[in-house]
Amino acid sequence: MSVYITSTGSFLPGPPIAVDQVENVLGAVHGKPSSLRVQIQKANMIETRHYAIDEQQQTTHSNTEMATNAAEQCLDRAFITREKVGMLAVASTQGDLPAPGMASMVQAELELPEIEILTTHGICSSSIMALKAAWNSLRLEEHEAALVLSSELASRLLKKQRYEAATTSTFAAKRIDFSTEFLRWMLSDGAGALLLQNKPAPKGLSLRIDWIRGFSHAHALPTCMSVGSAGRPDDARTWQDYDTYAQAEQDGALLLRQDVRLLDNLMRMGVDGYLRLVEEGVSKPSEVDHFLCHYSSHHFRNKILEMLHTAGVGIPEERWWTNLYTRGNTGAASLFIMLDEFLRTDEVSVKVGDKVLCFVPESGRFNTTYLQLTVVNE
Amino acid sequence: MNDGEIQIEGGAPASSEESMPEGIVLNPHAQVCLQHLLRVWLGFERDLSKVPLLRRIDLGTYTAEDHQVFLRNLRQQVIEGSRWITRTASSFDRNHSEIRSTIISHAVDEHRDYEMLEKDYVASGGQLEDILNMEKNIGSEALHGFLMHRSSRTNPIDLLGAMWIIEGLGEKMAHSWAERIQELTGLTEDSTRFMTYHGHNDSEHMQRFYATLDSVCVNEEAIKSIVKTAKVVARLYRLQLEEVEYDVQ
Repeated sequence: MSVYITSTGSFLPGPPIAVDQVENVLGAVHGKPSSLRVQIQKANMIETRHYAIDEQQQTTHSNTEMATNAAEQCLDRAFITREKVGMLAVASTQGDLPAPGMASMVQAELELPEIEILTTHGICSSSIMALKAAWNSLRLEEHEAALVLSSELASRLLKKQRYEAATTSTFAAKRIDFSTEFLRWMLSDGAGALLLQNKPAPKGLSLRIDWIRGFSHAHALPTCMSVGSAGRPDDARTWQDYDTYAQAEQDGALLLRQDVRLLDNLMRMGVDGYLRLVEEGVSKPSEVDHFLCHYSSHHFRNKILEMLHTAGVGIPEERWWTNLYTRGNTGAASLFIMLDEFLRTDEVSVKVGDKVLCFVPESGRFNTTYLQLTVVNE
Repeated sequence: MNDGEIQIEGGAPASSEESMPEGIVLNPHAQVCLQHLLRVWLGFERDLSKVPLLRRIDLGTYTAEDHQVFLRNLRQQVIEGSRWITRTASSFDRNHSEIRSTIISHAVDEHRDYEMLEKDYVASGGQLEDILNMEKNIGSEALHGFLMHRSSRTNPIDLLGAMWIIEGLGEKMAHSWAERIQELTGLTEDSTRFMTYHGHNDSEHMQRFYATLDSVCVNEEAIKSIVKTAKVVARLYRLQLEEVEYDVQ
């Protein structure tokens, strides 16, 4: 049973925010401009991004609303009525409520009656977990159509008040705490939606899902990106172990952290998974027409990529495509937002029969996920 | 950490980018072999993170004492390294004189590296006699035994797999560990010269490696033997690092 992506949608809140406006939205911590912002922004090369908070750091759209908006656009573009949707899978790093799952909240907004729901929890790769589960449900012929959403509202974690409240944290203690600030200038908000069906759309292009694979390396590698601990090697407490949430916040246990030193492992494990798929004959590099990568090629320019070319399995850079620079790094939502634009952009010519390889690495504890799509029409 | 220089998503800083040496096109067997070798390396490198001593480098709890333990346990392998390399050279027959030349010159470059390591040990606060009196640990015994066995066979091209792992590790020491160890321990660069030294001439080493791979890896059998030896060496090298002996005998 083949399964197809027959419609897509996305939602990016508010206007595009340029690099020099970012700190106006997130707020300058204690009124002082960050000494790391320019350096980090220069490295990630993101030109514009969107936030679901305003310049007073008040939430303008909830995570549920963003996911719902992307879903509505996706369903509006679909050739089926929403009653046909039998399953809703929703991915996010953090829904509006810690419980229940975000899919429940989005289902209510979309008023989809008596459907099967799934909420996946993780970081960037949670979207691929949701997609894979929905794909498998259709392959098992349990449903004719499934809606898969991914939505991120990272800015609520990144606003100045979070850092100002962390009075006893490593962030407060150090003059510069790179690991705590790194993602502040990296992540932004948005949502994407994919409609999966057991047949292609009657008009226009659909994407057949050829395969989805993931390899997690948490068994070997330390945590790289996280929320919930104070970020001290000798302190094993997590946020719920403090007597009060207020103490956890003061100690910086609610700040988003990235151990930048460990990040090299992500690219290495990404290459390892890719080579594994090549070795198994699942992925054939010479057949890949488009490569959509959650990270941009400039992050990967190093020796290991050169080795891939020497080994005859490199993907030429002209086949890479991303909208990361203009839509921002929206974590789990990135790939769906990318696919939505990929099918509509004039920047790249998408033809029937084209193979699209997608790669979503998650630095959290090193989960690397891959999927291949083939462009079809009915 | 090096807060002043951002390295994200594995990207090397622009200044250290090395471009692909022009004109290296590997034969199809060598290409497949390189694909497998890359995977062996990446798996090895990942699993090094599980080795308690090295995990502390990742977690930021590595101490000067750990560094002494590391160097003490590394020295025997470095000494024996020059032995298996020279034996490998002598095991190549007249039809492989080009490879023999390459290996001999490599052996000349590195056969007294252990002296540098001894000086690093003393600079780290260790006593010279302690490192001189150190025996091979269990993993070093296994690794050395395997390498001497393989290198004694005629035309041991599979040892290219061993060089891939050991050279790769030298590069990793230089680029990922040396500076980090200094930051964590407060030791000076005098304590990590052995590690740093191995980062020199990386791209030249790679070119030589590719050229040799291209010339010897010309069939399925060659791929298999090179990759298998790389896997064995990776496993035994990790064993050597897992079996580090903490107490000075």
